[in-house]
Amino acid sequence: MNKRMLDRGLLGIIYLIALVGMIMMLAVLWEVVRRGWPALSLEFLLQPSSNFGAEGGLLYQTLGTIILMAAAVLIGFPIAVGSALFQTEYVRSEGVRAFFRAIIFSLNAVPTILFGLAGYLFFGVYLETGVSWLTGALILAIMILPTIQASIQSSIECLPEKYREVGMSLGMTPWALARRIVLPQCWHGAITGALLGLARAAGETAAIMFTAAAFSGATWPRSFADPVPTLQTHILVLAQDSADATSLTHAWGAALVLLAIVFFLILTSLVIRSRFSMEAQR
Amino acid sequence: MFPFIVPDRRRNADPLFWSTVFSAGLVLATAVIFSSYLFWESLPVWDQGLWAFLTSVEWDPGEDVYGAGAMIYGSLIVTSLALLFALPFALCGAITASEFLSPRARLVFKGAMETMAGAPGVVYGLLGAAMLSLWVKDFFGLIDGSTLFTAGILLGIMILPTIMTLAEDAIHSVPGEYRDTALSLGLTPLQAFFKAVAPRALPGIIGAVLLGLGRALGETIAVMLVIGGLDIIPMGLDLFSPGQNIPSKLGREAAEAIGSGMHWNALIALGAILFTGTMMLTAAGSWLLRRRAV
Repeated sequence: MNKRMLDRGLLGIIYLIALVGMIMMLAVLWEVVRRGWPALSLEFLLQPSSNFGAEGGLLYQTLGTIILMAAAVLIGFPIAVGSALFQTEYVRSEGVRAFFRAIIFSLNAVPTILFGLAGYLFFGVYLETGVSWLTGALILAIMILPTIQASIQSSIECLPEKYREVGMSLGMTPWALARRIVLPQCWHGAITGALLGLARAAGETAAIMFTAAAFSGATWPRSFADPVPTLQTHILVLAQDSADATSLTHAWGAALVLLAIVFFLILTSLVIRSRFSMEAQR
Repeated sequence: MFPFIVPDRRRNADPLFWSTVFSAGLVLATAVIFSSYLFWESLPVWDQGLWAFLTSVEWDPGEDVYGAGAMIYGSLIVTSLALLFALPFALCGAITASEFLSPRARLVFKGAMETMAGAPGVVYGLLGAAMLSLWVKDFFGLIDGSTLFTAGILLGIMILPTIMTLAEDAIHSVPGEYRDTALSLGLTPLQAFFKAVAPRALPGIIGAVLLGLGRALGETIAVMLVIGGLDIIPMGLDLFSPGQNIPSKLGREAAEAIGSGMHWNALIALGAILFTGTMMLTAAGSWLLRRRAV
């Protein structure tokens, strides 16, 4: 009886600590919503910012974030699909596969600021793209490549073996196998990967703050060599000199918009993933 | 010629095959160029003495004197603080979710954690700069709230969902028979967890923690905004002093040093140290996570 009591008590403590952790995370969300909400309005979203972020809105910042993340996925996605197909369809040695997997894992773990440093020197200086949205998109593309590829690969690995066997028994070439069987069955992995990649690119600051972003003056890019303002760097700059109350409110508003974009992308990918993994289990 | 590729002659006439070879080659080249670049560009600094660079605290671009001691110290302190702070919450959350929630509630919980884990670092940075550092300042009566302590706590909150969801995966992957057997022997659910499930899940849990640490080590923006930005090793183990860690140093000085000179080499050398640390943590972590608990 005494043991049961002890057990109950211990369980209560575990629940309590878990609950506090939950509350902490909810508080993070709550604070962003509570402080960002007053800043939000249609004008805030549709006006360009002025007076160093203290007045106006977020139009070009939001556009810049969207341009960067869309370009990054456009560049990274085909490469991720290709290299995932290479590993799952054309490589048969387990050792080589493990080697590729290790590379993807390591790329995924690299601190993003290092991509910024090395990427700027490679693209910006050697290939002379300078501080521009193109440089940023290329760097972000490398950064999100492992995310996209891991998602595609895990969905391909979940493909039941019989699908492949049927294809082979029909005498399909590996090409036809990949195009007619693997891709149609696993496209949801590619979609979730692309969404997660978009989310990661939208939330990334360190890799673009000195390679692609401008704080004030920039609007939407007119050429490949123009930097763009982004939500991320906008928040960063406003947070750094967080003395003025209005610009701080604007920073919270921008944080709320950014968080909404990122969460929307992640949640959509989670919904797609859970729907298709349930279908596969049936 | 390449024995590891599917032996089908028809592949050579296959445009998809060649485009996948191209993509895979591009990924491989990126990884190789990137990592060799980090070490190649930091060579001039290693030449001046590796040990001196690692231990010296003096960092003065004007005099071309570079020492990484303060940044390495800051990284270690901030990361350990983050871990100490996040671990109890993450583990209790993982246990609760895996063992005591209904499947449906667990799914919702997991979704929420995975979403939170993707929240942008700059949002945490704003929270830290506009709220947490003020609280720390008032609560501990400091002159400035930007300290190693603030950065550690903020980072802890940030990596909490990552560790929680990975540790939950590790616990949940222990087969149900272990629980059933322990329960049928008359153990309470909690005893069953600690005696039967936890030992099997331990490697995976440690792996989850290491991956979380890897993320904490490399986080730039959130830390940069609240750490204070002073290259010092405070006397004693003073957590309430401003400091500097490697990513925040890189974030602050990359723009001015970019591309050339010893300053740049020294920053890249810092990056190489950071890279090595993250890689070791991640390699160990994913090895432990991947190992099937049997």
